[in-house]
Amino acid sequence: MAKNPLHTPLCDMLGIEFPIIAFTHCKDVVNAVVNAGGFAVLGEAMHTPDEIAADIKWIRSRVGDKPFGIDLVLPASVPPTGDLDELRKKIPESHWNFWLDMKKRHNIPDPRGQVALHQWGGLNQEIARKQLDVLLEERVPVICSGLGNPAFILKTAHERGIKVFGLVGKARQAKKEAEAGVDAIIAQGIDAAGHTGPVGTFSIVPECVAVAGDTPVIAAGGVTTGQHLAAALCLGAVGVWTGTLWLASRESDNDMIIKEKLIAATADDTVYSDCISGFPMRILKCTWTDEWAKDGAPKVLPAPYQMLLSSDYIQAANDHRRPDLMTEAAGQGVRFITAMKPARQIVFDMVAEALGVFEDLTGVAPE
Amino acid sequence: MEQSVSDDRLPTRQGFDPTMAGKRAECDGGGPTAARYAVREDFAGRLTGEYIDHGDPPWRWYLMTDLDRKPDGYPWESVWCEAGNVFLIEK
Repeated sequence: MAKNPLHTPLCDMLGIEFPIIAFTHCKDVVNAVVNAGGFAVLGEAMHTPDEIAADIKWIRSRVGDKPFGIDLVLPASVPPTGDLDELRKKIPESHWNFWLDMKKRHNIPDPRGQVALHQWGGLNQEIARKQLDVLLEERVPVICSGLGNPAFILKTAHERGIKVFGLVGKARQAKKEAEAGVDAIIAQGIDAAGHTGPVGTFSIVPECVAVAGDTPVIAAGGVTTGQHLAAALCLGAVGVWTGTLWLASRESDNDMIIKEKLIAATADDTVYSDCISGFPMRILKCTWTDEWAKDGAPKVLPAPYQMLLSSDYIQAANDHRRPDLMTEAAGQGVRFITAMKPARQIVFDMVAEALGVFEDLTGVAPE
Repeated sequence: MEQSVSDDRLPTRQGFDPTMAGKRAECDGGGPTAARYAVREDFAGRLTGEYIDHGDPPWRWYLMTDLDRKPDGYPWESVWCEAGNVFLIEK
């Protein structure tokens, strides 16, 4: 009987059973995955320090001593300050007219209440540090930096027994963070949902493994099946970081309309477009993406202008739950989301599939 | 040369690092969007040597100007780059 290929150094580091990390914005998914033997990381970039503290307490009340992580998007660059109202004034009239014409033709209602983006105000160093302070005070088991290099906080975190992981989009970022002493690198390929680095998962994972030395590397980007997990381990990763996989899970607090769209979607139902934020990202097709893809549509504006232009549409779509308008970021693995499964089942299915791959390859059943 | 700037919020300390002044560098930058996802942006330019340390432990940010690489349509002429994401082109 072969050794268990799914028992990796990541399992030993975190005290978990399966090297599967669920990245999610939903606490119930965290609870389910952690209690199923995996690891879960709650994305808290948009939350206030008080909200983050409350979420940590909620998670702890349900997982006890089992480890979990909190992800913050530490900025890596910040432009000179710009007032949102001043920026809105710089959007060309042609673009506003394009949006208003779309609004009329598709009968798109106004958002209910104030638009979230306009209240958010963006993230700067001060807000990020206050969010970090909560994680340090609460001594969360793992802090994940979704973008910026977390080297500056390593000593403080390690003194409190907190591990620190860093997401990277290039091998040189992995090298720098590994040399600084992060506990693990998450190598994220362009297959992922949202905005990612320029390198494919199949390339960036072994690149990062080659430069990270003894620092474990976790594969991210397009991972939705046990086959992906097995492949990641073959590339030298010690586990996988998954996101899209959980969006349609039973525990996910995503709107049911979005869940149904994700389940029905194949790669043809997604589009890699910059029309939402000014940066290319893979998302489910919707009225907004269809209109901006037409001949005659104006040139997409750079961020932050395009984001300001789309903000009313996005808010209205969600407020009024219009299936034709709603969209969600989704990775290239979306086609493998075929049912609204409990998160626990998703973990077990991925494990069974991965073990099946290794058994098929070796002819030997793992222990 | 250092100058402390504190208010009721996060303490910051401005400074100047002559060893970085004038150096050409790249910044693997970016930050969060209102869509909850991180945005990666690449910059290249010249460091002025000016920096700001935010909080304790210090979170150092360098000012980069003379940008010859920046996101398409980036509306500003400079960018603050987190020290851990700066890669010197010339040593």
